Amino acid sequence: MADLLQFIVAGLKSGAVYALVALGFTLVYGATGAINFAQGEFFMLGGMIGVALAQAGAPLGFAVIGSVLITAVIGGVFELLAVRPIASGDPLRIIMVTIGGSVVIRQLALHVFGPDERPLAPFTAGPSLRVLGAAIERQTVWVWGITAVAVIALAFMYRRTLFGKAMRATSIRRDAARLVGIDAGRMVTVSFALAAALGALGGLVVAPLTQTAFYVGASMGVKGFSAAILGGLGNPVAAVGGGLILGLLESMTAGYINPLYKDAVALIVLLGVLFLRPQGLLGGLGREKV
Amino acid sequence: MDSRVGRVVIAAIAVLMIGSAVGCGEGAQETTSDAQPVRIGAVLSLTGTYAALGEAEKNALDLEVARINDAGGINGSPIELLIEDDATDEAKAVAATSKLIEQDGVVALIGATGTGPTMAMRGDIQRAGIAQISLAGGTVVTGDFDPLVFQTPWSNNLVVPYVLEVMKESGHTKVALLTDSGGYGKDGRDVIIAEAPPAGIDIVADETFNPGDTDLTAQLTRMKGSGADAVLLWTAGKEAAIAMKSARDLGMKLPLFGGSGQARAEFIEGSEGAAEGFVFGTGKSLIPSNWGEGSPEYQSVSDFATRYEAAYGEAPDIFAGHAFDALAIVADALERAGTDASPAQLRDAIEATSGLAGFGGSFTFSAEDHNGLTREDLATYRIEGGKWVAAE
Repeated sequence: MADLLQFIVAGLKSGAVYALVALGFTLVYGATGAINFAQGEFFMLGGMIGVALAQAGAPLGFAVIGSVLITAVIGGVFELLAVRPIASGDPLRIIMVTIGGSVVIRQLALHVFGPDERPLAPFTAGPSLRVLGAAIERQTVWVWGITAVAVIALAFMYRRTLFGKAMRATSIRRDAARLVGIDAGRMVTVSFALAAALGALGGLVVAPLTQTAFYVGASMGVKGFSAAILGGLGNPVAAVGGGLILGLLESMTAGYINPLYKDAVALIVLLGVLFLRPQGLLGGLGREKV
Repeated sequence: MDSRVGRVVIAAIAVLMIGSAVGCGEGAQETTSDAQPVRIGAVLSLTGTYAALGEAEKNALDLEVARINDAGGINGSPIELLIEDDATDEAKAVAATSKLIEQDGVVALIGATGTGPTMAMRGDIQRAGIAQISLAGGTVVTGDFDPLVFQTPWSNNLVVPYVLEVMKESGHTKVALLTDSGGYGKDGRDVIIAEAPPAGIDIVADETFNPGDTDLTAQLTRMKGSGADAVLLWTAGKEAAIAMKSARDLGMKLPLFGGSGQARAEFIEGSEGAAEGFVFGTGKSLIPSNWGEGSPEYQSVSDFATRYEAAYGEAPDIFAGHAFDALAIVADALERAGTDASPAQLRDAIEATSGLAGFGGSFTFSAEDHNGLTREDLATYRIEGGKWVAAE
């Protein structure tokens, strides 16, 4: 029983991080209809920039917020300088540009930050918490809390602010949104910046648990993409659900079958879902595209 | 899903399958002397997962080549070192190898950084008949014997029995094993499983994880319930630090042991105090005074460390040390065989290396032994106060 609880804790911990990355995929997909393959690199940049700021002497809170802001700016600039001029809105070309961009970002990170793994201090120090025999690291509580806050803030922005409504309008029908005076191009830039910020947040909250390095982006990109597809692309609620389900699935496979099969099992379930429910597990829940 | 989404998803999946690693070659070193230079090739992982290792190796090679050339080269001929990046990828290692052999005409090859790329190079090495000095620690490198292939790190075949003996001597016989499924961990696991029964050690749990895993809760939870009285960790990846922190958080009180993979400052730093008390066995050179001051090994290791620190502002890690040894072995053989030696003569000279004091220990190769080190070259360390100290 304590084991099961422990596996659930581990699954929800990884799942919350996947959810943050998956939200980034969903945002850019909503705005452009394309997959942003640089999303995993934003996850990496968040962690690496946060570590660099902390090592330069910044207080941890400042390093975290600073890293999210810097990564968001990088995301926006990446869209303005690379995605927009080269891809001119075509989803397949956006995919190609973001793939190239991810390689460039990774190599730049290697040269700027060096090849070593780097640690980040836990947000609050201290021994892990005990709940019904299961251990929960303090950082895991931060992972859950920050993911929850990010999701709620995103939902609020989408539903209650004029800006969020403009973004939704763009993703539902780009031409019509443009006709009523919404700057669709700006919405795309903002979606990249927001996606980068969410990815960075994921990279930051998990860095104290796993350390970070210039190469961690690619595999996290695959996980986040899988989570977004599993839940249902283009739906933020589904992205979060997909992330948590993927995390639990991996954890249960590692706990009860074999740790070596966890990636394979996740992929098989993903393919099964795509086959039986192409809109994703939770894709039918929200009627809107975003 | 409408057709546009389908197209996008299919393209995306196709891209994931293709992979995205890239690498770039490193230019040749400039040489200034008029004498015919001796061309030596090196295949290192300067990018990709093993970039941290490859970078240290490149630093060491550059440093030593510059030192040899500044001192007039070998018998008057400078060394020209050509370094290629394999991006921690086997296919790129093969491409780099054939380029160095066919286009650059090197007389010997140093590399690769990892065991996988090292083994992948073997086809070209055999075809060209030139010596390869690998920097990878996999048992298979010299275990799967080839007369052309030498190895500088302490292989698992050497370190595993040593660490098992240390565990046994400290009274731990029921051992939970945690290894990664990548090259170093998998190789170590095979040796551990084979060596445990003769060492009187019972493997009561045998857990594995994939490189890149971010959570090891499931494995550690099962190990906790296995009745083990100690944990043996065999991995070179950053996941080792996750294992240490998770073990502490799960309230695991078992003593932890490991091998050369833990002889990295990043491991201690990343564990944030959770690695205190960790015991591992590896080469003596982590603390040069292990050799006894005044011994040739002590001289060699501490001289190298001083030069390396002066050049790069940090102490050399073991990977820099293994690269230093590889170049020293080639330079020593060139001195004996002459700088105009054919690749085959150079190979023979390398095999005749005897008592060469380097970082890994005292290298003596023979027709059967291309690792050249013995357990006399190993020592035990404990992590205390954020650094390693000699353990008795």
